[in-house]
Amino acid sequence: MQPPLQQVIEQAGRFILGKEHPIKLSLACLLARGHLLIEDLPGVGKTTLSHVLAGTLGLEYNRIQFTSDLLPADILGGTVYERDSGAFTFHPGPIFSQLILADEINRATPKTQSAMLEAMEEQQITIEGKSYPLPSPFFVIATQNPTYQIGTFPLPESQLDRFLMVITLGYPAHDAERALLMGRERRDMLQEIKPVIRPEELLALQRQVREVHASESLIDYIQALLAFSRHSPWYLTGLSPRAGLSLLSASRAWALLAGRDHVMPEDVQAILPYVVAHRLQPADDTTVHSAEALVKPFAEVPIP
Amino acid sequence: MGRNELALTPPGHGRLWLLGALFLVTLPHLLRMPPWLSISCLLIFGWRLLHEVRGYDLPGRWLRYLIVFIGIAAVGAAYRTLLGPDAGVALLTVMLCLKLLELRTLRDAMIALFIGYFMVVGGFLFSQSIAMGGYLFLVVLALTATLIALNHPAGRLADYRLYLSTGGKLLLQSLPLMLLMFLLFPRLSNPLWSVPEQGPSARTGLSDTIEMGSISNLVQSQAVAFRVDFDGNVPAADALYWRGPVLWHTDGRRWERMQMPIQREPPAFEVLGEEVAYTVTLEPHRRRWIFALDLPLNRPRAANTAFYFLPDFQLLSEREVKEKLRYAMRSATAYRLDTLSPAMHAAATALPGIANPRTRRLAQQWLEEGITPAEIVQRGYRLFREQPFYYTRQPPQLGDDPVDEFLFSTRRGFCEHYASAFVTLMRAAGLPARIVAGYQGGEFNELGDYLIVRQSNAHAWAEVWLQEQGWLRVDPTTAVPASRVESSVDAARFQSTSSLDDGAGFAALRKLYRQFRYGWDALNHSWNQWVLGFDRQKQLELLRKLGLHTASWGWLAGIMVGLVMAVVALIALLTLFRRPPRRDPVARLYQRFCDKLAKAGLPRQLDEGPTDFAARVSAARPELASAVQRISQLYIRLRYTRHGGTQDIESLRRLVREFKAQI
Amino acid sequence: MLAFWRHLFRRDRPESGPVTLGRRRVYIIPTRSGIIFAVILLAMLIGAINYQNSLAFALTFLLASLALVSMIHAVRNLYGLRLTRGHPQPVFAGDTARFALSLENRNGPARFALRLMLDGQQPITLDLTQNGGQWIELCRHAPRRGYLSAGRITLYSRYPLGLFHAWSNLNLAMSCLVYPRPDQERGLPPQMLQERGSAGDQGRGSDDFASLRPYHVGDSLRHIHWKALAREQGLMTKQFGGGITEELWLHWEQLGNLGQEARLSRLTRWVLEADELGLAYGLSLPDLAIPPGRGERHRRRCLEALALFGLVDGEAPHGPQ
Repeated sequence: MQPPLQQVIEQAGRFILGKEHPIKLSLACLLARGHLLIEDLPGVGKTTLSHVLAGTLGLEYNRIQFTSDLLPADILGGTVYERDSGAFTFHPGPIFSQLILADEINRATPKTQSAMLEAMEEQQITIEGKSYPLPSPFFVIATQNPTYQIGTFPLPESQLDRFLMVITLGYPAHDAERALLMGRERRDMLQEIKPVIRPEELLALQRQVREVHASESLIDYIQALLAFSRHSPWYLTGLSPRAGLSLLSASRAWALLAGRDHVMPEDVQAILPYVVAHRLQPADDTTVHSAEALVKPFAEVPIP
Repeated sequence: MGRNELALTPPGHGRLWLLGALFLVTLPHLLRMPPWLSISCLLIFGWRLLHEVRGYDLPGRWLRYLIVFIGIAAVGAAYRTLLGPDAGVALLTVMLCLKLLELRTLRDAMIALFIGYFMVVGGFLFSQSIAMGGYLFLVVLALTATLIALNHPAGRLADYRLYLSTGGKLLLQSLPLMLLMFLLFPRLSNPLWSVPEQGPSARTGLSDTIEMGSISNLVQSQAVAFRVDFDGNVPAADALYWRGPVLWHTDGRRWERMQMPIQREPPAFEVLGEEVAYTVTLEPHRRRWIFALDLPLNRPRAANTAFYFLPDFQLLSEREVKEKLRYAMRSATAYRLDTLSPAMHAAATALPGIANPRTRRLAQQWLEEGITPAEIVQRGYRLFREQPFYYTRQPPQLGDDPVDEFLFSTRRGFCEHYASAFVTLMRAAGLPARIVAGYQGGEFNELGDYLIVRQSNAHAWAEVWLQEQGWLRVDPTTAVPASRVESSVDAARFQSTSSLDDGAGFAALRKLYRQFRYGWDALNHSWNQWVLGFDRQKQLELLRKLGLHTASWGWLAGIMVGLVMAVVALIALLTLFRRPPRRDPVARLYQRFCDKLAKAGLPRQLDEGPTDFAARVSAARPELASAVQRISQLYIRLRYTRHGGTQDIESLRRLVREFKAQI
Repeated sequence: MLAFWRHLFRRDRPESGPVTLGRRRVYIIPTRSGIIFAVILLAMLIGAINYQNSLAFALTFLLASLALVSMIHAVRNLYGLRLTRGHPQPVFAGDTARFALSLENRNGPARFALRLMLDGQQPITLDLTQNGGQWIELCRHAPRRGYLSAGRITLYSRYPLGLFHAWSNLNLAMSCLVYPRPDQERGLPPQMLQERGSAGDQGRGSDDFASLRPYHVGDSLRHIHWKALAREQGLMTKQFGGGITEELWLHWEQLGNLGQEARLSRLTRWVLEADELGLAYGLSLPDLAIPPGRGERHRRRCLEALALFGLVDGEAPHGPQ
């Protein structure tokens, strides 16, 4: 693994105990220039994770708490008449930050959600005919409460597609939880986070991800996975070409995290549940599937 | 099924294949047909090719009918018949070409192709040589590849290697089956119905008349007259006189045979030396006589043909020899033959009218000296030695008294000059004499262990009847000393059976050439014996060797069907249940590696990547870990990284070969 | 023998899992070309016997052997193929149902000129590379609502020489759900809109388009649904609201003047319209009521209910054509 990436994971691991896998996934997501959605209960450390990531990577950080009365302008910003200069000037909203935690995104109305998601997608916002580019790198960690709660607007399937990965954190393991309980106050510790990597280095790493070699055999495998999803009786609809691209770039990032300059089928398998599960709808709606269970049928696809 | 697929248009690449393959099929026939007919056929090929490539229109229905009518009429006009192999094959060729003008559906194409196969058989009617066999086998390959192309709608012209290799593979797998059927299919000893005579249309080799100069023309040819397999030792070169037509009658210039009653057994004579047993394979020469070593002891044995003797030991076949003929013989090279009937005596002493007066005077002179007949023969023989006679392949033209001119003025001649001069001299002296035409000597092919007798071995010699000794062979040609033989080839003719090196400069090259020629001839000889000559008799012989003494037809057919089915089942097993190796060498090697582990109880799961698999195997079998890791790393390098080269494939191959998973 | 024939023409129970073509699934029969070839071989044999021509014998036997070997290769072209059924996406009556099928060549050699067809349809032709696989779609017209079964699928090939026809029949339990054909009349009936209270902000904002309701005097001109007016559906007002949810009930009874199939067609159209507008809608049929909802799965559920309405086991209402 690249030494700076190793340091990032090590430092983050000190703050978030026993969650090395979600940390690595978040980092891969970030390196692949995708956005991350964490679906989990409140209190399992979603905020901490994003805070630690931002601190470790030395990114500007903003947290936006989504509520039902949040309006698009509250996120994006707006033009305000300034009496001094006598002109309308643009006041950027909280989205103009390198790392955004969009907390409880499903509490906002669909309109606000889509404003946020469109900005994420396009890496810029357009207000009254003028475009304002978002900072680079730009990374959104959104969280969503899984239980169906009154007054929430679950993200529609078409919008979920904009997140490269959807992960869950889950409860900490027994030992990790014990360490958590016995350790110092997290809030104090968070003050001590020192960046181990500069934003330029992060951008370079992002460029490096795109250079990771995906051989023809590997592309064959990804294509076979896509074809399988499209014709399998397990899913209502198949994966889109965009899902295929996401799969490839996430696999590249995962390979880079493993310190390789080429993608292996194992990389694809490792990130598969987090990249495709939210893009697939199981054909039987009787049970709630975990991401891992949902992608289990993909084991039928042989590695060429 | 069906779906009337045969009514579909054949794929474009298949149509081009078809044109090419049919052209190859018809080529030998086109070369034999009258040129104007062949050119018309080629024009039709061209028309179809333009239709395929440039989209030219094909003729409409009525025009097509007209062309077909003209085609039939043309063949009829060229051959004066539509029956028989020549006209029949020509008609088939023309019709096949015309079929190209209306070939639309897959069915048409397939039928045209089947006719193509049929025409290959037509080619065998005219020649069964190795070269023709080889050519037509290639044609069969082309036709088979075409059949595959026609049945592969998604193919392109660039797939030609696929079709050729698939066709070759199919043919190769068919060979053992073909061999079984060829050896075991019950053969008839007679045709189902009599077939029109055919075979080489020109007569070759010795003729049954001799004129001065007729043999010297023949010896220019290196063509094979016949080949001989000896059962025991090969007799000495000077004993190898192959007896052919015996010539009695002469008009002073030309010598002819005598009409005599035929008999089934050879006339009796006294055998003095050892018998020689041998088998002759005679090239077809469209004559009735066959050749045997002087003198034949028995009636030849051969399949399908009966033989007769004439009292002068000429051997005749019941019909003209139009195919290769094999017959087994015994002969005696030392003998005493006394038979001389009054009719024979009369014929053997007759000299026509007034021709060659100086020769007669010479003989008269000898008679007046009062010497014995044996001394006359000696005198005649010595004449050629003592006087400046030359042995040449370019003898001068002779006039009205050819023997006189040869004996007293030109003195340059070939064997027929010597033989006819000698016999004329003997007859003039009142001794019964005759000319025997045939072959002398031969080249021994050590590669095939047999003797090749070529047209260049053609010879004529004399036989004189003496009261005390009976018929005596005198070869006056041998009287000429080597110093007066113009060509060194001829000088050694009677001394050995190995061929000659004339000229030293290219000795090595010549030796090589001779080796090659012998090799090729040996191949031809085996081909004749074992392929073309495989008949009922040979089949029975073979079965006897295999221990099947009572092979009735039913039996034979049963055995054949059983064995064919067994071989088909074997091929099916080998092709259906054998996993073919993967074409990609890297994948193939990794597959072999996985197969080895699967046999050891560690099969790779379908969705298991190489790293995961290696880790699982290493955990389960720690002693294999290092080998497994090395193989997996090489495989990953070759398959998933942008590095990896041919030497990696080599290392992978070596590692996989050495890898042993089983305990 | 009898067992063999029964085996050959058995009406198998449909199979659901992947099918691997084994020894007992691939049949073979000479084609018409094959029979012509045999006749030509016989003619060659007679010629060879008659002319006692060894090479003619050899060629005849070579070609006979070639035919036998090609029989094995024709079987091999299908043998060991693995077929997996796909999951047909539902279609509307009148459209073409697509039955996807995966052909996998896991351990075999490259395959050529494979043909697959549904009973009575045109075959499609494909080649498979060594260790390759491919998804193909077989199409069949879906004339009416209900389940459309793919029926028998025949996989056959005449490769390599066209002398033998090797085939295998598959009954892969594939059926495609066919929704009723949506009515041509677009737009939702205004009287069906029922406002209901729901959680969330009750205030009528102007941010989120929610639903349509009949025009009332005083509504903003900006909110008039002009497209509906253009389709002569009367004046409609677009309702917007932050968090307002309006529930729409699509009722069977409200189409009293139409026949059964026409009602289903109209309801199908309404479901599609409502879904397009992002409304929450419920469906009420004589024997079934689906509570209001939204989203892909809800839409599918409603359409499925309409597709299967009144059918036993999803069979088509009027038997096969």
